[in-house]
Amino acid sequence: MPYLLAQLTSDDVAREIARLQHGYRFLSAAMIVAWAIVVVYVLLLVGREKRLKREIAGLKVMLEEKQK
Amino acid sequence: MRDKIVYLAGAAAIVIFARDIYVIAGLPEEASQGIIFKIIFFHVPMAIAAMLASFVALVASVLFLATRNFRYDALAVSATEVGLVLLAGNLVTGSIWGRVAWGVWWAWDARLTSALVCWLLYAGYMMLRRAIEEPTQRATFAAVFSILAFIDVPIVIFSIKWWRTQHPQPVFWGGGSFPAEWLGVFLWNMAAMVLLGAVLTMVRLRQEDAQRELDAMRRMAHAF
Repeated sequence: MPYLLAQLTSDDVAREIARLQHGYRFLSAAMIVAWAIVVVYVLLLVGREKRLKREIAGLKVMLEEKQK
Repeated sequence: MRDKIVYLAGAAAIVIFARDIYVIAGLPEEASQGIIFKIIFFHVPMAIAAMLASFVALVASVLFLATRNFRYDALAVSATEVGLVLLAGNLVTGSIWGRVAWGVWWAWDARLTSALVCWLLYAGYMMLRRAIEEPTQRATFAAVFSILAFIDVPIVIFSIKWWRTQHPQPVFWGGGSFPAEWLGVFLWNMAAMVLLGAVLTMVRLRQEDAQRELDAMRRMAHAF
């Protein structure tokens, strides 16, 4: 192993670092985009839930007033 | 009570994902593809959860046509919407993997194209629902459309067997295998993704119930 390491040039090390960074960059991007899609959908669900609750409460008040 | 179970299941899915991301980060690189191979831990579970959602939508659509019970229509639209989100995640992660593995963002091979067509079909289902006002007509047309759209799902699944595709053969179904520790993480992630899909479907289903209640109240308000 030390013999193999001794054979590596600084160019080899730089190439290996670049390859790793390239992979990490794309892997991180994939994870971020995939989870962003799910998070945006959850936020849309939360927004829709709030709107529905607000509209139901408003209509309930209106119907109660009309029944009086 | 049902709400508590749904939120607990959602929290469980998040805990499993958090643990899995930590474990996946510590796994070694795959020999030929390098670090980008780790996308498989999210890409495949997203696809399987999306296909399960479309199967639930199919069953619910058939049951709606058979019984005319609007609960099944609500389940069909909820499952379809969640399936669309998961399939979008699957397509995006696959495209990013393709950029590293193939050097291109997209290839018009049978698997990728049929998956994109599947997404477009279910997006069309959602648009169809928005276009029809009358509830019974909307549910009937949507159920028929959902059943027809499902024809694409087996094409997506079996495309890699039926045609020679650029998309790789699956790890398990294609004669390959995972090391034991990778398989454990993969199966946990799969379970968490299916659980997440089920939780989102339940939340969406509750909103469909609320929407029906709202529509009924609107009709009452107009009747006064």
